[in-house]
Amino acid sequence: MTLAGSSTEAIEKTAPRTANPGGARRRRRRFFEFKSDIPASWSLTLGILVWVLFFGFWEFAVWQNWANDILLPGPGKVLSALHTLFTEKAFLYDVGVSVTRILLSFALACLVAVPLGILMGSFRTVEAFFNPLVSAWRYLPAPAFIPLLLMWLGAGDAQKLALLFLGVVWFLTTLIMDHTKSVPADFVRTAVTLGGNRLQVLRTVVVPAALPGILVAMRQMLAVSWTYLVIAEIIAADVGIGAMMMRAKRFLHVDQIMAGIVVIGALGLLFDFLLKKFHGIAFAYLEENVR
Amino acid sequence: MASHVKLSVNGVGKSFGHGAHRVEALRDVSFNVVQNEICVLLGPSGCGKSTLLNIVAGLQDPTAGSVVLDGKEIDGPARERGMVFQSYTSFPWLTVEQNVEYGMKLNGVPKAERQERASHFIDLVHLAKFRKTYPKNLSGGMKQRVAIARTLANRPEILLMDEPFGALDAETRWHMQEMLVEIMKSSQTTIMLVTHDIPEAIFLADKIVFLSSHPGRLKAILDLEFKKGKDIRDKEELITLDGYPECERHILAMMRAEARPQDVT
Repeated sequence: MTLAGSSTEAIEKTAPRTANPGGARRRRRRFFEFKSDIPASWSLTLGILVWVLFFGFWEFAVWQNWANDILLPGPGKVLSALHTLFTEKAFLYDVGVSVTRILLSFALACLVAVPLGILMGSFRTVEAFFNPLVSAWRYLPAPAFIPLLLMWLGAGDAQKLALLFLGVVWFLTTLIMDHTKSVPADFVRTAVTLGGNRLQVLRTVVVPAALPGILVAMRQMLAVSWTYLVIAEIIAADVGIGAMMMRAKRFLHVDQIMAGIVVIGALGLLFDFLLKKFHGIAFAYLEENVR
Repeated sequence: MASHVKLSVNGVGKSFGHGAHRVEALRDVSFNVVQNEICVLLGPSGCGKSTLLNIVAGLQDPTAGSVVLDGKEIDGPARERGMVFQSYTSFPWLTVEQNVEYGMKLNGVPKAERQERASHFIDLVHLAKFRKTYPKNLSGGMKQRVAIARTLANRPEILLMDEPFGALDAETRWHMQEMLVEIMKSSQTTIMLVTHDIPEAIFLADKIVFLSSHPGRLKAILDLEFKKGKDIRDKEELITLDGYPECERHILAMMRAEARPQDVT
């Protein structure tokens, strides 16, 4: 009784004094709490704010004449350059060619990396055979092969596809191998004690269990593909986003170069968004409350 | 009572590594499992009970001795020896129903029979309401029930369980133990179960095979005479039975005798 009484007293004594600052402290803690969620509205506001600040700073820099107007055009000029590119310079064709290059080379890389990665992750024998090769190639920068590829395949699309393929396939294989390895061993052991043979276990357990991780790996490597695309198109190309940017450089069209960068960024975000959506739909069973 | 030997473990030994790094996990373990009994492997940690169960499953090969099921020496994993693990193994990409049908599908059981058997065992583990649910939405105990139903629906000759309730909280645990006993009464199955939980072993077992540690050797086979012929369905009934405290005290003493040398090191 006395204990309870004294503690209430203590609360009463301190409560009025700290009510206001205490409330403020609590609110601050809510936004800077380790690893805890913030309200969706706050998250959206912050996401918009960072872009507003970015464009604001850009506009400010132009207005203050921090750099030559030709070297640093404002956001408005870049936007109008983007419009001109699409309406008058057939830029859509360039974009189409670049996207085709990405998708084609990436499909080829997946065709090799998915089965190879799954087999390497499933069987130690396959891993022991291929991993020394894959690891070595992974550390060789793909652009180092550009001179060779130019001599072997010329300056056409084959050389670009080869560069994009080489830039992606080794990392993709390794990532898929790791995702396959992390399939719980007890899943496999369950299947074999239910009478599953090797092929059945691979097809009905290992692949479906690894698939969500494989799609994540593909999303990550598709982003890397864009890096190699720009390199390939800057080196030697007549069409493509990178080619347009190099043309614009020749005529000091900085606004067009920046428009190209914007388009690459937007396409990258779009692909990432689509793959993420697809992941959510294809692997809905990983979410709670899906029946 | 016609007690027909279902499975026999004959002089099984298992060592890992070579030369100076050689570790002996099991030495000359022999015992029989009779049809329709629950045989519990009990012992201190490091006694090799899980290794022994893996050998019976065919997931590991013994370095000495053999395991014989229905007169045939086992060689590798097979449908006849279905196993339930401590970790949750219900496949997340399949619904409860699809999970339970999974093993039968592997073995080419026709669709109609598959569905009928699945629904029988789903009812048996009280998951009828969750037929179309994905494991992500199930509790740990429910996931284990899916695994048990999936293995039983596949009609193994012997059901192997490696600490199947070890990851569950205490309450869920004894509910599961009672459910397992209930299942046994209705669907005559032979079970070999590994645990380090003494009350669980006494509650479930018809026979306890006690292993000593480093290396695992057969120390005692306990027939649990005090509960013979009694129809025990819940834990309250068991612990009020004559002979229960003595039995538990006896096993605790064996456990302690085994654990002591390790405590010193």
